[in-house]
Amino acid sequence: MSINERKWPLGLDKDDLRLAVTCFFGGLLLAVMTGPEGNLSSPGFAFQHSIFSSHVYGFVIFGLLLGALSVTRRKSKMGVWELPVSLRLVTVKEKIRTLTNTYPAIIFGVVAFIALIAALLVADFTGPLVPNKLSFGQLLHQFVNSRTYGYISIAEAPLVIRLVRTRLKKSTPAQGSIFSSNVATVIYGLVGGFLFALFADPWLPPRFRWSYFTFGGPSNNAFFHHWTTYLWIVMGGLLAGRYIFVKTSDIRRAKTQRFRRPRAEVSASTRFVMYAGCLFVAVEAPKYLNAFWQSTIYQQIGIFVLLAIGLNVVIGFAGLLDLGYVAFYALGAYTNAYFTGALPIHPPFILNTFFVVPIAVIVAMLAGVLLGLPTLRLRGDYLAIVTLGFGEIVYVLISNLTSVTDGAGGTGPAGGFSINLPGIHYAWSAALTGDLSYYYLLLGFMVPILFLFTSLNNSRVGRSWAAIREDEVAATSLGINPLKYKVMAFAIGASTSGVAGVLSSAKLGALFPSDFALQLSIFVVILVIFGGMGSIVGVLVGAAFLNWVTQYLIFHSFIDYQDADKFMYFGALLILAMIFRPQGLVPSKRRVREFEDEEAGLGSADALGTAVEGPLS
Amino acid sequence: MSTDDLIFDVRDVTLRFGGVTSLNNVSIQQSRGEILAVIGPNGAGKTSLFNCLTGVYTPQVGEIIFHPSQDQSVSIMGRLPHKVTQAGVARTFQTSRMFNALTTFENVKIGVEARHKTGPIGAMLHLPRRNREERESDQRTLELLAFVGLEHRMNTLADSLPYGDRRRLEIARALGTNPKVLLLDEPAAGTNPSEKLELTDLIRRINQEMGVSILLIEHDMRLVMSLAERLYVLNFGEVIATGPPKEIQENPAVITAYLGTTETEGVSG
Ligand SMILES: Nc1ncnc2c1ncn2[C@@H]1O[C@H](COP(=O)(O)OP(=O)(O)O)[C@@H](O)[C@H]1O
Ligand SMILES: [Mg+2]
Repeated sequence: MSINERKWPLGLDKDDLRLAVTCFFGGLLLAVMTGPEGNLSSPGFAFQHSIFSSHVYGFVIFGLLLGALSVTRRKSKMGVWELPVSLRLVTVKEKIRTLTNTYPAIIFGVVAFIALIAALLVADFTGPLVPNKLSFGQLLHQFVNSRTYGYISIAEAPLVIRLVRTRLKKSTPAQGSIFSSNVATVIYGLVGGFLFALFADPWLPPRFRWSYFTFGGPSNNAFFHHWTTYLWIVMGGLLAGRYIFVKTSDIRRAKTQRFRRPRAEVSASTRFVMYAGCLFVAVEAPKYLNAFWQSTIYQQIGIFVLLAIGLNVVIGFAGLLDLGYVAFYALGAYTNAYFTGALPIHPPFILNTFFVVPIAVIVAMLAGVLLGLPTLRLRGDYLAIVTLGFGEIVYVLISNLTSVTDGAGGTGPAGGFSINLPGIHYAWSAALTGDLSYYYLLLGFMVPILFLFTSLNNSRVGRSWAAIREDEVAATSLGINPLKYKVMAFAIGASTSGVAGVLSSAKLGALFPSDFALQLSIFVVILVIFGGMGSIVGVLVGAAFLNWVTQYLIFHSFIDYQDADKFMYFGALLILAMIFRPQGLVPSKRRVREFEDEEAGLGSADALGTAVEGPLS
Repeated sequence: MSTDDLIFDVRDVTLRFGGVTSLNNVSIQQSRGEILAVIGPNGAGKTSLFNCLTGVYTPQVGEIIFHPSQDQSVSIMGRLPHKVTQAGVARTFQTSRMFNALTTFENVKIGVEARHKTGPIGAMLHLPRRNREERESDQRTLELLAFVGLEHRMNTLADSLPYGDRRRLEIARALGTNPKVLLLDEPAAGTNPSEKLELTDLIRRINQEMGVSILLIEHDMRLVMSLAERLYVLNFGEVIATGPPKEIQENPAVITAYLGTTETEGVSG
């Protein structure tokens, strides 16, 4: 009997095994990556501690659970396993509804228990920094933490609300139940905001004490001493109000309107609240970070996010693979160095870095257009090679044109940003740690860029890009000039990169060619793919996350971590991501559909090779 | 046919791919407002002709003149496809080429917008022209969807449309570009009889209500006979007959080409 014919139990097959094993080792890998600090001088000790820590068990359990879930999902998708309604993967909301409606309290209890475990795991992973989560004792301490209660409350709240509602509905007629009234909605919102404040408030002392929750708490750190607490509660109330507004206006609209424009899935007011919340976090949160993260958030995270947002226009919107992206970054940086007099060749006049920004935008854009015009006629893979070559040319030039760039020795200090107006003098600080002024400057550039790119993507230009990506021949037949739009995307991406270059050099001071090596280009491509090509939110989150991981690993990796090691971890993460979420962390809706189309054999989601060749029929 | 008001004037076009001659000395004239059909067996060069007319291929020999209006003339030779479209020539494809991941509405809107002017700056900053053009294109898109009878499918993804609807969507998208002439490459292929009737009606309405000239490739003889005023018959890249449908049906050369006696006879005939 050959291996192929051997019977697997329960209709499982080789692919299921592969999936489960991948998940398991994925968990193990995460455990290794985030394990306690170790060093190579006593590897045995570190190894022992890494194996026997609760932390590792956590990840292993996580991997096992993930494996079981994935296999179950695959099997039920294939229709091999007939799952009871309660276990089918519908939306969480629906699942809870069917559960509470059709099943007795026992199953409800099971779900509540799973939610509890999940909340504990999340609390553990995100809990306050315990240097080495080695012992179960320490794990226990983690759980006696206000944050943990916050997560538990949030995980259990929907269940409790649901339970109460169904129980009540049984006794009273559902019509006009106070639990679905507007008042109740507002109360939910306020309580939700309160709970959020409970676990999100960074000022809250790490160890839980009831006295912190009284109004006259023992210190200024008490819960109710903080305006953030009130802010979150107000936010919760606003959300509830918005929900009521949408609910009532939706009913009205559905009655009156015959032609409806395709509506965005998230209404404008939700989006506004979300944006306001994100902006608030982006402004406030860094203040509570320690000095290390405060400097990291600019140089290692912020700049890369900006780069990724720019490259997303090229890769995600226009579907072009650009492997020489770092060249434009270098151009921006060296433009700044030139105009602030840091290079051996002297500019006609020294400029304030604020004025260098538009110059750098123009320089990078011109370079993008000059590179793009001849090369963008090429098919995807050739384009990648040409851009790769361009990146290398720029790299070699800045390394070897010693008389212009000072070569590998590094330039003199490039100028930073400053304001010199009559009466107002302010210089952004180049201090390496514990200074946020550059971070806020970056935020000042980033927020408008995000808005501009979002509206660009939702415009005629963005739709033309989508059309070219999907079917260049059809797009051309409608009068869209593909070359024009590709060059446009290239130029916009390049100029964003140029801005990032100026910002980076202004803080860094001296520039070294090694800062602009090929790896950086590839890294930014990884950021975009990981986050979700074409999705601004995805790229933002993905880039921030991956860069956070790099820095996190510096302190938490169990093997002696070198900066270059990050590519190994990224490789692993990327492989995992490609297996489980090929469309990226937060994919764009259009892209998701393209992926589904490709699976169904319609068209191609291959962003990196768009040109359609062959006879047109 | 009045020779002084032509919309397409194709003169002695020859198109070769290496050793293969797809079109050999083809001349075709289409009058303004006319529904003209091109028929011929598979591989006769019909699609190649369309590709020449839309600038996708440039013939080695000959001249193609397009007259957007009576006193304008545009040479198609060497003009890039998107420029040809902008001049007023729209087309559909033999195998459907929708933007599958986009909705019906977005598909048509892309066609409508292609002739608008908003650039990246206007789009980013929501300048007045951008807002005006958005409104206009939304309006026009809805009109076109209603015209082809797809307004109830507005938010459906293109790839989940039934086959017949996809054909109509492709036509609506092409109409979005405001063409003077619409080239339809086997629009009825793969549709069922009732869809064929609707399509015939649609093509006629496009011709009469919108005043768009139609150049049609079609195999379904009933559809061609009921629509076209005149036919050209291609075989092995050569025009072997031309005239009103009635005459063509009785033309011995055409019958030979279609019944497929020996190949040499077909060409020489
Ligand atoms: N891009 C191309 N390269 C090579 N040969 C082509 C190309 N396009 C068309 N042909 C050839 O031209 C001839 C006519 O094809 P086509 O115009 O598609 O025929 P029809 O549409 O009438 O069925 C065929 O022999 C085909 O092989
Ligand atoms: Mg054909």
